[in-house]
Parts: sequence; structure tokens; C-alpha cells
Amino acid sequence: MSAAHAMTEQRDAIIESAAIAAGHDGEAELVLSVRYQNGVVGNVVLDAAIGFDLMRNCGVDTIGGLAGHSWRRILEGPKA
Amino acid sequence: MYDIIIKNGLVVDGEGKAGFKGDVAVKDGKIAAVGAVSGAARETIDANGRVVAPGFIDPHTHFDVQLLWDGAARPALSHGVTAVVPGNCSLSLAPLKAPDRRAVIGMFQQIEEMPPEAFTEEFAKWTWEDFQGYRDAIEPGLSINVAPLVGHSLIRLWVMGADAQQRTANQAEIAAMRELLRQSLRAGAIGMSTSFVDVDENGRPVPSRFADFGELDALAQVLGEEGGRMLQIVPEFYDVDLTIARIDQLAELSIRHDIPTTFSPVFDSTLAPQNVGLIMGRVEEQFARGARVWPQMQTRPIDISFSMLNPSLFLARLPRWVRILRQPIAKRLEALRDADTVKKMIEDCGPDGGKTLFGRLVIRGGDKAPAAYVGRKLNDVAEERGETPVQALINISLENDLDVAFLAANGGHDNTDRIGPFLKHPLMHIGASDGGAHLASFSTYGDTGYLFSEFVRKSGALTLEEAIKKITADTADIWGLKERGRLKEGYAADIVVFDPDNIARGEERPVYDMPGEGMRYIRDAIGVDTVLVNGAVAYANGAYTDARSGAVVG
Repeated sequence: MSAAHAMTEQRDAIIESAAIAAGHDGEAELVLSVRYQNGVVGNVVLDAAIGFDLMRNCGVDTIGGLAGHSWRRILEGPKA
Repeated sequence: MYDIIIKNGLVVDGEGKAGFKGDVAVKDGKIAAVGAVSGAARETIDANGRVVAPGFIDPHTHFDVQLLWDGAARPALSHGVTAVVPGNCSLSLAPLKAPDRRAVIGMFQQIEEMPPEAFTEEFAKWTWEDFQGYRDAIEPGLSINVAPLVGHSLIRLWVMGADAQQRTANQAEIAAMRELLRQSLRAGAIGMSTSFVDVDENGRPVPSRFADFGELDALAQVLGEEGGRMLQIVPEFYDVDLTIARIDQLAELSIRHDIPTTFSPVFDSTLAPQNVGLIMGRVEEQFARGARVWPQMQTRPIDISFSMLNPSLFLARLPRWVRILRQPIAKRLEALRDADTVKKMIEDCGPDGGKTLFGRLVIRGGDKAPAAYVGRKLNDVAEERGETPVQALINISLENDLDVAFLAANGGHDNTDRIGPFLKHPLMHIGASDGGAHLASFSTYGDTGYLFSEFVRKSGALTLEEAIKKITADTADIWGLKERGRLKEGYAADIVVFDPDNIARGEERPVYDMPGEGMRYIRDAIGVDTVLVNGAVAYANGAYTDARSGAVVG
């Protein structure tokens, strides 16, 4: 990770925790608790495809491993 | 002489007043008298020990297709529902030009999970294009009342063709949409629905999602001009901030055009327990400004279903499983047939053979789900097969090309103590059943029975009278359904007679009553004795009658 990248991550919102919840349509969804730089904590809900992409982008095998990662990993999407 | 007198019941009129022992008389489709009724009748129904209430109204359904061959919207009518609102979420079956049918069928299949056979000529005589034509196609066969919405996506598609799913509309197109909406309202639509989240079968946003605010404002103006009709939306319900932004947008439209608006779904999550409170706080603020923005909350818990055909986050706690299920189907099957790999997968599930993790799962549909297993707990089936639950899950999936679904019940919106007060809130609209949708995933029927069993009898969050008011008079008032929702002289005789000590929803079970023997999940009604629609007995003693007294209402 470059120094510039590391600094960007420090300014980013960070995933505090993750959990699985039931979505409206009966699919399991990934609910992320994200802490923004101003201290506010909010939720981001991801479907299965994006949730699994996020886990891969963060290099984790379980949703518990997502804590501490930048929310920007969500935006990286599927890798070829 | 009256047509029918329902005698000696506990009459609950729908307005929230305490029930009283009395009679209800019916003549010419209307309620002729309420109280101590004397006089003769052609038919007398003994309601001793039963509640006599206005028929329930379900404001959020997708029965549009089913109504073409099933005018009772089964099993909704048997649950005491005497009026349904189809056409939600931007999707109706009219207005629809013949060349656009295929596109709309795809959208409906995405939402309803209805088999392709439902859209063939055998079951649906696709003779109509405009809204009046659709009305003419369904109305003769109705035994339930229908208060249909016209879908924004259909209006866009009619005017813009394929461009409806590509861009915003120009002024000429918006003018054409306004005229088409006006025609649809005059042909019986009670409002318009739109969606900010739905997709078609290819994952593309439905047409309504390409509209800008100017278009929505122009259409809402027509809703106002035509008598203040309803605007229903599906907001970005997965994000509370976006939902609140939509509440503000709806409030502006409501005030500007003097229309009621409603949005759904709203559900409670223990992972974000503050959300419903935040939503209701903004709703209260907007009502205080004079807006009408009604949130809809369902009564039933949400279940999670998954199969090994598509990776589900339900399995996200098992890294090895996730890695295997994310592989292409051929490699996935290869892994699942490899003894060493399966041995490790089984070990991942703990020393009890997956009993804790998977044992309570219920085996569900999927095109190849074995009928002998569907609806049963995995624990029981595993025992029968001489396997552990995790072995059974893998083997049953393998035996059926992975196309078997498993359900984890009560995965969310399941905390009765939290949800009861939300349902009781005077600005919370009970609805969002989605009746007629999600056919192969879970049952969308019986929410009214669940309201009484869970929130009246079990938790006491609502009184009997409050619960009835919520799904009768309140719903009629919110939607502007004239002379319905109350047991009152001169009102339509939509009436349900039920056992207050037993009314409930039955266990979820698969049935094969869709066209082409397509499967869906339903729940039977419990404790509902008799249902009258416009003065005729449409359901009694566990059976539907031949009455076709339903109508398009508004």
C-alpha cells in the first residue's frame, strides 16, 4: 500500500462491524456498520454478489474480518 | 326482506369503537342495518361467539396476473380479505401495447416468480392494451374487490418504448404520459405506483427509475386533478437516509397536489434498531406540515432462503463453503462430489453434524425440489435418510442439480415486542404483504391472521378493535375507497365473520395450483368462517362459493 493510499484510507469511512440480515425478498444481506470521519455511524446494506466481492477485495474469509477495512473496498467491485 | 342477516355476533364496526353484541343485515349488496335487527331474511348466518367485521383490505399486492384466471386472488379471500390493491411497485398489466408484452412479462416474472405458462394465451387472454381493456378482462370473474393502481413503468413504456429504460423523458413525452395516466384513472385506476429500486429479469432498472423529479411532479399533478388519488412508491428501503429523503419528496408532492402518498416496505431490524424510529419521526414531521405520507409495515417476519445454486451470504460464516460455492457450476459440482472436500465442509459445521447450523432449516422449492421433502425440517429428513443435517443438505442438493432451496425462518422483522408498537402507531399503515409475489420463495398470505394471533392475542399490542380498524376503515380512508371499510348503513357489504380466539395463519405449505402446475407457497386461513363481498357469500365453511360479486372499486 502506498503512502498516499494509506493517507486516503485514514480519511475514509471505516467498516466497524458486519452482520447478516434477512432482506425484504428473502435473500440474506450483508449489513455493514460504517463509521465516518465525523464520528457518525451508519449502515450500508449489500446484496450477496457485492458482499462476496467486498470480502474478496478485503482478503477475508469471514464477515468478522471486514472490521477495520475502508468502505472504499465496496467500490472496487468484482475483480477479473 | 333482507338478503342476509348475520345474527348474534360481536359487531366490530371498523372505526375502533368497542364491539357490541348485535346483528348486521344486508340487502342489494349494501349494509342495510346494524344493531338489533328484526325482520325476515332469505339467509341467516349465526355468528354467536364470532366477530363480525368489515372485510379486510390489502393495500400492497401483485395479483395483476393471477386475477386473469383466479378472481378470488386465492387464498387472500379465505383470509377475510375482501379488497386487494394490485399494480404496486410501478408494475401493472395496463396500459400495455402488444409489442411490449414480452418486456413486461419479464418484469413480472422477476417480481412474482410466476411460471412462464401463466403468461400464455391459455390462462391469460391478452386482448387488452389500455387500462379499460384490462379492467374488462378481469372484472367478470372477480369474487374479490380490486382497487388497481396503474404502474408508472407501464406508462413510460407505452409512451417511450425501449427508451423508457434508457433516459429521462422530454416535455412532449411527459405530456403524453399525463394524458395516459388521466385515461387510466378514469378507467378505474385508483392511483399510480412507482419504484426506485426494482429491476427486470435482466437486472436492468425498471422504466420508472429513469424518471426525473419533474416527470414525477407532472404525473402527481394529474393525480391531484383527478380527485386526489394515491401515489405509491418503493423507496431505497435498504438505506434509511435515502428513505427519509424520499419521505420529504413525497411530502412535497402530497402538499403541492393535495394527494395521499404511501411507501413500502418498512421493516424492523435488530441490526439497525433506530431506523423505524427515524422514519416515523420524519413522517410525523411531514404530517404536521399537512402532508400525507403513509409508511407501510408488514406484520409477518421475514425468512431467508438460499440454495447451493447461487452463493448466499447465509453461508458467509463458513469460508470454505463460500469459496466452493463461488466457483463456476461445473467446478462447484466437482468439489461437492469430492469426498475429501465434503469431509472438510462437514467438519466446518461442527461436531454435531450441522444440527445447530442447519437442522432447523426447512426444505423449500426450486424447480427440482423433491416433493417428499418440501416443507419439512432438514433435521427430520436427515434422520429419515440416515445422515447428519449437513450431509443431507449437500446430498439433497447434489441429487437435484443444486436446485433445492432451504429456508431459515424468522430471519428479520421478528421481534414482536418492538414491532407491535410500530403497528399500533396512528401513522403506520399496515400493509406491504406483497400478496401474489415471491411465489416460489415464501408465502405472502395470512398477514391479517398473523396480526390477530401475534399482536392482539399473544402480545396485546393492539386491541381487537384497533387491529380491525387498522386493516379496514383506516385503509379505506387512506386510499379513498368510498363507502368501504366500515359496518355502516349504506356501505358496501364487505364482511368477514371470524373466531377471535383462533384466527391465525396456517403453516406455510407448497401447492401446485399455478398455470403449468407451477408451485407456490401459501398459508391457509384459520378461524375465518364466512366472507361476504358486496353482499354475497364468497367464502364459507372452508370453501369458495360460485359468487362473482367482486368488482373494480375505488
